[in-house]
Amino acid sequence: MAERLISQWISFGSIALATGMAGATVAAANAAETYPSGVVTVVTHSSPGGGSDVFWREMIPHLQPHLGGKLIVQNVTGGSGAKAVATVADATPDGSMFYATTPTYIYTSLLANPTKTYKDLEPLVNLFYDPEVIYTAANSKFSDLKSVIAEAKSGRGKWGAANPASLEREALEEIKAATGANASIVTFEGGGDMLLNVLNGSLDIGVGEVEEIRSQLDAKKLRVLAVIGDNRLDLLPDVPTAKEEGVDVSVVKFRGLAGPKNLPPEVISAWEKAAQELVADPDYKKIYEANNLQPGYIAHDRYVKFIDDFAQKTEGFLKESGVVK
Amino acid sequence: MDLSYLTQLLLTTPVVPAAFGGIVWGILGGALPGISPSISMALLLPFTYGMHPSAAVVLLGATYFGAEYGGSIPAILIRTPGTNSAAATLIDGYAMNQQGRAGEALGISLMSGIVGGTVGLVMLVALTEPLSQVALAFRPSSYFALGILGLSVIASLAGDSLLKGLMAGVLGLMIATIGSDPVTGGGRFIFGNADLLSGIPPIIVMVGLYAVTELITDRGTGVQERADQSKARIVFPNAAMWKRIAMPQAIGSVVGLVEGCTPGAGGTVAAFLAYSEARRWSRRKEEFGHGSPEGVAAPEAANTATSKTALIPMLSLGIPGSNSAAILLGGFLIQGLIPGPMLFVQHANIVFDLYVGLAVSIVALLIVGYLIMPPCIWLVNRPKPYLSAAIYALVLSGAYAIGNSLFQVSLVLAFGALGFVMKYLRMPVLPMVLGVVLGFMVESNFRRALVLSGGDLTAFVHDPISAGLLSVSALFILSSAVGRFRKRASVSGKVTT
Repeated sequence: MAERLISQWISFGSIALATGMAGATVAAANAAETYPSGVVTVVTHSSPGGGSDVFWREMIPHLQPHLGGKLIVQNVTGGSGAKAVATVADATPDGSMFYATTPTYIYTSLLANPTKTYKDLEPLVNLFYDPEVIYTAANSKFSDLKSVIAEAKSGRGKWGAANPASLEREALEEIKAATGANASIVTFEGGGDMLLNVLNGSLDIGVGEVEEIRSQLDAKKLRVLAVIGDNRLDLLPDVPTAKEEGVDVSVVKFRGLAGPKNLPPEVISAWEKAAQELVADPDYKKIYEANNLQPGYIAHDRYVKFIDDFAQKTEGFLKESGVVK
Repeated sequence: MDLSYLTQLLLTTPVVPAAFGGIVWGILGGALPGISPSISMALLLPFTYGMHPSAAVVLLGATYFGAEYGGSIPAILIRTPGTNSAAATLIDGYAMNQQGRAGEALGISLMSGIVGGTVGLVMLVALTEPLSQVALAFRPSSYFALGILGLSVIASLAGDSLLKGLMAGVLGLMIATIGSDPVTGGGRFIFGNADLLSGIPPIIVMVGLYAVTELITDRGTGVQERADQSKARIVFPNAAMWKRIAMPQAIGSVVGLVEGCTPGAGGTVAAFLAYSEARRWSRRKEEFGHGSPEGVAAPEAANTATSKTALIPMLSLGIPGSNSAAILLGGFLIQGLIPGPMLFVQHANIVFDLYVGLAVSIVALLIVGYLIMPPCIWLVNRPKPYLSAAIYALVLSGAYAIGNSLFQVSLVLAFGALGFVMKYLRMPVLPMVLGVVLGFMVESNFRRALVLSGGDLTAFVHDPISAGLLSVSALFILSSAVGRFRKRASVSGKVTT
């Protein structure tokens, strides 16, 4: 229930302000020779205080000096991201408005068939990855991913993912298929509900971002068993990747930007430059490393293909699991 | 945390203004039907970035409290629930208003809010650690059983016809199935409309069924008639009234405590459960629905208690007990504080400041709530045509604000028309509202529990909480069925003799 209500939250103030300001700056941006000369709006489907919202609001003071112009965050919630996608897809492609990408917009596009989908947006650049990890209760009997899989093979595993249509669910389904384990994959309406069921032992394991379970990790209530990515994490150097444990599965939760179709080349090059500088910025590096984000710069050309590949893989997964036809 | 720290906190940091500011803003936001407690808080979030950390979290906490109370004002005065949970207060609150007892209803609502808030805060301060275990004890099967307990009330609330009550309840459950499938994530009954992907918000249904239906029904009344004759004065409960509402307030506080501790249920479920439990245990059951002060006291105590107890799992486990608590969690994150087991170790002073601020906010609610009442009552005593036009504007703009789309506006009007038809058919709307509020919780947790158990239905018996709640529900349904049967037997007996 929480998740569906969360998607109804809106922020009138910022919307009214942002649409007004964005409208006024379109003309200015066209007239100016260098980009960006006015307000650049980053539209997020996240509600104020949500994951993407906090990420962008923290990042903007550091990104601002590298890009120039005036960056603001606008929360367009509703329809699990469909509204935010539609807002940006209909905007003028002059670099004044972008959508903050996460895997959510691909899932919503595929599941709900909204009028504007990920295909109506042009991926700009990627900035970061959020590593996904598999964790278990501190007092559980599982010592590593192998023991979890072994348990699922001999009996029945109980694995939890925060949301039914999510990267986390996809990761678990892939592990299940790759290992031939017999596991029930239980989905919730957000990470909190699932976390409780890992803590109280209803679930063998849960999957999520490190940041979501930081407090529980510090308090030693949870243990991380494996990273579902290509590399180990700096924060948890002893935790192996799933591949090292013999499970050939790796997923990336990406955080980047996409704009309306036909972005001008000067906008793209300005962002590619700023994005690389941002990721290398020593001040910001301290912050994002503390938040367990991995730098994941992807240039425009490759990002278009990256998103396309991701969408195709996801569509295949959704069809295989019978969610969409 | 000695006395000098406390004085210093109250005098040198902006905690007191934050508590008062949060209460004022919360009451305003709560009173507007499009702005839920969580939205009221979310709107403040951007302003908390540069704020003193303690003041920021107190501001948000006080807003939550104020908004949970504020929702009851339009519910009592103009039959428009300002928040989801206020729809429970509305039933008897508006009935009291129609009897010219608006001031009394508002007084009971305010005092019950103070009582609920105080009990909730005491529990939060004294018992956070043990109560966080309640959250851990609840499994999907337990949530399912809790939802069933809520729905079992339909049997006793159905009014003159059990059949009509059940029909309305099922209709509500059907509405709750619109949106994303809780297990597969695919869209259900959304017809390619992205607005429906996250389901129909309960507030849309409630505002439609209550406020719009009333406006449609009202269109026939003459211009000369006054909306009501309520005096523009808030009436605080006297000793006799306190005695009467003590029990429902206690019921409300306990229900609010449990609902706050268990993430996912929230203030709305608490308010409706408290309403029905208060009715169940009341000596004057027949007054419920016709202006019972107990029917105002119980849900108000429950939802304001929830506004405090929802912070228990949020602070101790980092898991918010409601949507609004999730926004408060966002407020903590903005300040660089991570709620969860380590918060009490690393930032005990912030937690202490929050507790102090929440205590101040209870005093603030008493003062602001008292001062805000006369203008509110004066406003609704304006000539009917102006009042009706203003309510239409409030309801429709509120509906638009919920999703920034005209689609929600047409939904509200459609539910208003449905409510009118139901009124004509003498079909009770409360079961339908309960179905909408509880439907998703019941369905998703039922299916989740079955996925977890591998399809084994005995999971609901093996979980002691689920087994207990389900047996209680069965008992209630049975006793209400027997009661109905006896009543009918005695009525037909009278006819024959």
